[in-house]
Amino acid sequence: MELIKVFTKSKCPKCPPVKEIAQELKKEGLVVFHYDLDTMDGLAEASFRGILSTPSLVIEDEEEKEIASWRGIVPTLQEVKRYISKRGP
Amino acid sequence: MKEEFETTDMALFVRTSEESMHGWDRQRIVDALLRETYVDLDTAREIAKEVEDLILTSKIKMITAPLIRELVDTKLIERGLEQARKMHTRLGMPLYDVDQLILHPNKENANVPHGPEATNLTLAERIKKEYALLSVFSEEIADAHMRGDIHLHDLGFIDRPYCGGQSLEYIKRFGLSLPNSIALAKPAKHPEVLLAHMVKFAAALQSHFAGAIGWDAVNIFFAPYLVGMSDRELEQLAQMMIFEFSQQAVARGGQAIFTDLNLYWEIPKHFEKVPAIGPGGEMTGKTYSEYIEEAQRFVWALFDVFKEGDGSGRPFFFPKPLVHITEKFFQTPRHMEFLYHISEVASEKGNTYYVFDRGETAKISECCRLSFKLEQSDFEDAQQPWKMRYCALQNVTLNLPRIAYLAKGDDTKLFSKITEFMELAVKAHLEKKQFIEKLLSLGEKGPLALLAMKRDGTPYLRMDRATFLIGMVGLNELVQIHTGQEMHQSKQAFKFGLKVIAHMKLLVEKLSERHRMRFVLEQTPAESTAYRFAKLDLKYHSPKSGYIVKGDLSRGEVYYTNSTHLNVSAPINPIERVKQEGLFHPLIEAGALTHLWIGEAKPSKESIANFVIKTFRQTQNDQIAFSPEFTTCNACHRTSRGLQAYCSYCGSKEVDGITRITGYFTKLSSWNKGKMGELRNRYRNQAFIETRGGETVLLA
Ligand SMILES: [Zn+2]
Repeated sequence: MELIKVFTKSKCPKCPPVKEIAQELKKEGLVVFHYDLDTMDGLAEASFRGILSTPSLVIEDEEEKEIASWRGIVPTLQEVKRYISKRGP
Repeated sequence: MKEEFETTDMALFVRTSEESMHGWDRQRIVDALLRETYVDLDTAREIAKEVEDLILTSKIKMITAPLIRELVDTKLIERGLEQARKMHTRLGMPLYDVDQLILHPNKENANVPHGPEATNLTLAERIKKEYALLSVFSEEIADAHMRGDIHLHDLGFIDRPYCGGQSLEYIKRFGLSLPNSIALAKPAKHPEVLLAHMVKFAAALQSHFAGAIGWDAVNIFFAPYLVGMSDRELEQLAQMMIFEFSQQAVARGGQAIFTDLNLYWEIPKHFEKVPAIGPGGEMTGKTYSEYIEEAQRFVWALFDVFKEGDGSGRPFFFPKPLVHITEKFFQTPRHMEFLYHISEVASEKGNTYYVFDRGETAKISECCRLSFKLEQSDFEDAQQPWKMRYCALQNVTLNLPRIAYLAKGDDTKLFSKITEFMELAVKAHLEKKQFIEKLLSLGEKGPLALLAMKRDGTPYLRMDRATFLIGMVGLNELVQIHTGQEMHQSKQAFKFGLKVIAHMKLLVEKLSERHRMRFVLEQTPAESTAYRFAKLDLKYHSPKSGYIVKGDLSRGEVYYTNSTHLNVSAPINPIERVKQEGLFHPLIEAGALTHLWIGEAKPSKESIANFVIKTFRQTQNDQIAFSPEFTTCNACHRTSRGLQAYCSYCGSKEVDGITRITGYFTKLSSWNKGKMGELRNRYRNQAFIETRGGETVLLA
C-alpha cells in the first residue's frame, strides 16, 4: 500500500487545500504522514526528500521509494488518486 | 621614615617597556593601580609597600616591569581583588615562545609563510587574542572557547570584521580615495589602472578584514573597459590580474590576499538592465547586457592563465575563480565550449569552483560563498551595484561531537545542549558586534576609517546588512557517538544528522528574529578547528573520544570530519556524495561545498562537464570543486602529478606536495597535524575513475 507524505507550514496560505486532500485520502484508508517544516522532524524529512517549498505531497511505496510528487504546488484529489493502486473489494 | 630612606638608597634599576631604565620608585606602582583598576589609594599604597619590601629582602639588582606587575598581582590575589587583578593583567609572551616563533613556522593557517613579517603578524595576533579573551568577550564566552565547546575564529583579528564581499563598481565610480592615504586617485580610465586600483583596494581591505575578500561579477564589471582590446592585450590583462593576486609575501604578514573572483558566462538577470559604468567613472549609456562579448572574452582569458599555472607549472593558490552555473548559463550560446574550458582547468590544475544558483530567483555571492536570494531592496541596490557591499562580522563554530559526549545518548539532552551552545555563539556575536560598533563610532578618525568612510552617503561597511556566522565541526562524529553509526553507514544515521542541522536551522531563524540580526549556518572550513576540537576532546572525553576521532592517534594526527561532510575516507560514489552532502545545503546558507579529491588522476574535460551538469540538474549541492594533487621540485622547479617522495624529473628528494587543505591550495609542508591525518585518509575516488580507450573518465 502507498504512503502519503504531506509537507506544510503553519503560516503558508496555500497549504490548507493540500491538508484537505490528505484528509480525504486518510478517510479512504490510506496511511498519511504530516510534516510541518517549522518543526525539526518535519524539516529534516523534507530535506531528506529534497523538498524546498510548501505545500508538497509525495506518494511513496512501502519501501519509501517515491512514486509521484508535487512540490510547491497543489494537485487535485483526482491527480493524486491516479497513482494509488486500486484495492480489493 | 627609616624605610623611605632605605628605598632611595636601593641600587635597583627597573627595565620598563619604554626601553629605558628607571630608578626604583614605589609611587609608580600606586599610579598604575589607580589608573588601571578600581582599588582605593590606601590599598594601592599598602600593596606598593609590600612589593617594595619583597624586592628589598630579595637583594635583586635588576628587575623588569613585568616582574613587578606579577608581584603586584599576587598581592591583589591575596586580598581577593580578582577583578582588579584582571584589569591589571599584562599581555605578552614568554621569551622561550618568542624564540620558537622566530625560528619555526606557524601552522595554524597554512596561508602564512614563515618569515619576519609573518612573525610580526603572529606576535600581534597573540596579544590581540589575549586581549579579546580578557577584554572583549565575557568570561562565560572566553571559557567556552578555551574549553573547546565553541571556537571563536580569528581572535587575533578581534578589531576587524571577518570577511567581506565587494563590488568593483565602488572604485570604478569613486576612484581610489582611501582615508589616511596621501594620494587620491580619480576613477580609472584604462583597464590596467582599474586593475591597479582593485589590487590596492584589496590590500587596504585585507588590513581591515580577518579573512576572505570576495569580488562580485568581476568579468562583467571589467567589460566596459575592454572594448576593442586585442586577444593579446586581454591575455596580458588576465595574466596581470592573476599574478597580482597570487603574489605571496608582499602583503600583510606575508600572507596572500584571500581573494574570491565571482565570474559569469552570461549576464545574470539582476545586472541585465543595469547602466554600465565605463572609463573615468562615466556611465557609458549602455547596459551590461551589451557588454557580454567583452565579459566572455575576459573570463575565457582568465581561465587560459589558470590552465598554464605559475612559472613552474603549479596551480595558482590565489585568486580563487568561482564560476556561477545558472539556468541562464545553459541558455547562453557557447556555454558548452566554456564549460569544457573551465573543466579542463579543473582537471589539469583544480582551480575551478562551480557554484550552483538554481531556480528562477536571482542570487548573489557575498564573501565566504555566502549567497542569498535577492529581495526587492537588493534589486534596487543592483541598479546601483556599488551599494552591493556585504560582510560577515564573525564566525563562531560549535564542537558538535562534544555535545554528543555530554548528552550520553539521551536525545532530549542532546538537542537542549545544541540550543545551549547556539546561544553561546549568539552571545559571542553580540559581544563582538558591540566592540566593532565602538570602533566604527570613531568614524574616519578611528581605527576602522576605511570601513566608516561614506563616499556614497552610507558607511562602507553596512552594519545593517552584516551577517553573523555559526559554523559546525564534526556532525559525522556527533551522529557516530549518539547512534553508533557514521552518516554514510545507514539511512537512519544520515537522517539523524539532518535532524540536528534542521534543529540548528530553525534555531538560527528564531534567534535572528529575536535579536534582529542575521545569523546563518556556515560550513566552517575548519583548517585548524577540526584538529583543535579533536585534541581537546581527547583530553576531556577520554577514553570514548579515542574511538571516535579520525586520523592516526599514534602520530597525533587527529581530526573531526569537517562541518556536515561525510567521512572523507568512505569509498562513496562521487555523484552520490555530491547528492547526499547536497541535502544539507538548503539548510546551510554559507560556505556549503563538496570536495572531490581526484589525486593523480586527470579525468577528461567531457566527463567533468558531464558531472557538473548532473550536479546542477539532479542534486541540491551548492558548490563543488575537484582537487588534484601535485609534487613540486625545489631543485629543478618542475611540477608533476600526484604526491611523490621524489621528483619524477630529476629524482631530487627536495620536493613539496601541493593540494587543497580546505578551500584553497597550499604546500603540505605548512599543514597542521590534523589536516595531515585527513590527507592520509582522503578517498581519491579511484574506483570511479576509469580509462576507456585512452580517455580518463570520472563516472557520474
Ligand atoms: Zn626536480
